Amino acid sequence: MSLIKVENLVKDYKINVKKKGLVGAIGSLLVPEYKMKRAVDNISFTIDKGETVGFIGPNGAGKSTTVKMLTGILTPTSGNVEIGGLCPYKQRKKNASRIGVVFGQRTQLWWDLPVIDTFELLKHIYKVPEKVYDENIELFSEMLGLKDFINQPVRQLSLGQKMRADIAASLLHNPQIIFFDEPTIGLDVVAKEKIREFIKYINKEKGITMLFTTHDMQDIEKTCSRMIIIDHGTTIYDGTVDQIKNRYGKTRTLIVEFGQVYDKIDLIPGVEVVDTKDNKKWLAFKKEEVHISSLIADLTNKYSILDLTIQEPEIESIIREIYEGGVNYDKSLSGGGKEVLSK
Amino acid sequence: MIRAYLEVAKKSFQNNITYRMDYFAGVINTIVMIFVNISIWKAIYEEEEVVGGVQFKIIMAYLVLSFLLQNIFTMEDYLIEGRVTTGLISSDLLKPMSFRLYVFSYNIGSLVFKAVMQLLPAMIVTVALFGMLPPFSASMFIYFLISVVLGYLVLYNLNFIIWISSFWFYFTFSLVTIKDAAVMILSGALIPLWFMPQWLYEFIKLTPFDSIFFVPISIYLGQIPAEEVFTSIIKQVAWVAVLGLVGHILWKAATKKLVVQGG
Repeated sequence: MSLIKVENLVKDYKINVKKKGLVGAIGSLLVPEYKMKRAVDNISFTIDKGETVGFIGPNGAGKSTTVKMLTGILTPTSGNVEIGGLCPYKQRKKNASRIGVVFGQRTQLWWDLPVIDTFELLKHIYKVPEKVYDENIELFSEMLGLKDFINQPVRQLSLGQKMRADIAASLLHNPQIIFFDEPTIGLDVVAKEKIREFIKYINKEKGITMLFTTHDMQDIEKTCSRMIIIDHGTTIYDGTVDQIKNRYGKTRTLIVEFGQVYDKIDLIPGVEVVDTKDNKKWLAFKKEEVHISSLIADLTNKYSILDLTIQEPEIESIIREIYEGGVNYDKSLSGGGKEVLSK
Repeated sequence: MIRAYLEVAKKSFQNNITYRMDYFAGVINTIVMIFVNISIWKAIYEEEEVVGGVQFKIIMAYLVLSFLLQNIFTMEDYLIEGRVTTGLISSDLLKPMSFRLYVFSYNIGSLVFKAVMQLLPAMIVTVALFGMLPPFSASMFIYFLISVVLGYLVLYNLNFIIWISSFWFYFTFSLVTIKDAAVMILSGALIPLWFMPQWLYEFIKLTPFDSIFFVPISIYLGQIPAEEVFTSIIKQVAWVAVLGLVGHILWKAATKKLVVQGG
């Protein structure tokens, strides 16, 4: 049973065209000019209960617009959205009590009041039963380390603390679905890790369905099982994170630390040196063309070797190539999220 | 559901306590403003006992009441603008509660804070300094209290229209300034409307402005004939309704714009 169903979603915006220069600016002020822009162009996907889905794409790809339509704050130009049987933009208030939204760039906490005050207010707004509220507060305090600052006014908190408090705030009413909009933006490595662990735990324990938009690939790799890539308003990939690595990440790099400095080395065909530093060389090859074992055997026969490391391509560099159009994405993968996920 | 809005008002009350300096400044400001204005009128009354048929002690009572009311009628003019420009309005609309009632509860929280924490000390000091006329009669005092509530609602609904315009203008400082000036002059906050030229007075009576401060204070002082008190109050109710309706239409348009055009 799919919890989120999106069918042929389209959103057009009317955008104000600003003309150049001072005269143009005054002109735009008096006679505004508009043109239509298609932000989301025929997107379809379904998400099952308990899934964690990363929603990625370059800036301006249409991610936020899609998420806004899912939450009900934006009406689509055409197409259908269904969340647990509800149409979010028609039944926004009803939908609202079943979802949680976290914006990494702004806080919904009351600036001048201690964190706990916002929590209490949310308890009343969402009519969270006392018992559920107490349990959640305890769980979140422990896992997110809220205890240290729960009685401090929000304006005194660090970015990481604020983010943790915001995540807790959006989960107090046990939503079925939670939308994260760049939840780790601007945080240090430790804080990011803590948040990711918490998200994973909550997903497992409470079965909350999660949708992430982020630019941090580590977020996706560590928390999401599935990934939807959007560009120019259309879906260009929908499948598992592992699969995209297998499909596109065909190159491997072998880092070899030699016993001495070799200016030139003799390699089997299909392997090339991409970088050299002192006695280290980076050798790149395609994994279908060259067997790693024969490459290593060949090298150890000819040279003295101190150390060997095999590097898989980083998901980040794969994505970068997709954005830049370097990788011709496989059409058969697009929109195939369902099929890919059936285990 | 009422509970949630009460809770918002409570948090807003709490929020007001945060800034101690601002709190004391508010009390002192009210006292100073009353003192300055009474001094100005004193100079005017130096020459004659009665100006325009009004005794000095009535003017004094008028000014004290006006400035005390102005203090508690102060609202958060940039609350909605802030939510719109930061985009937080999206989170607000994604709460299972009415955003309009949320804003109203927020302002009520501030009102209660000001009434309890600022009005009382300011009142005690000014009454001790300048004395105070008792209400014209017990029944007029009751009407006064009703009229004050209605005056607040007229101002609130008028303000709401200005606030909501931030959905289109994003930056409402100029509009708020114009509104403040209009209220200051036309509502009788600074100068009792008796002293306005007849044509201006007639004009102001066609606007909602006199309903804010002038009507309740005049009722307190017995300056409105008993048979006209009722119509004055009905007029206030009418303005609350009309401005409320305009606000409602604008709110519908604003949310429509938001859900169609994005934040």
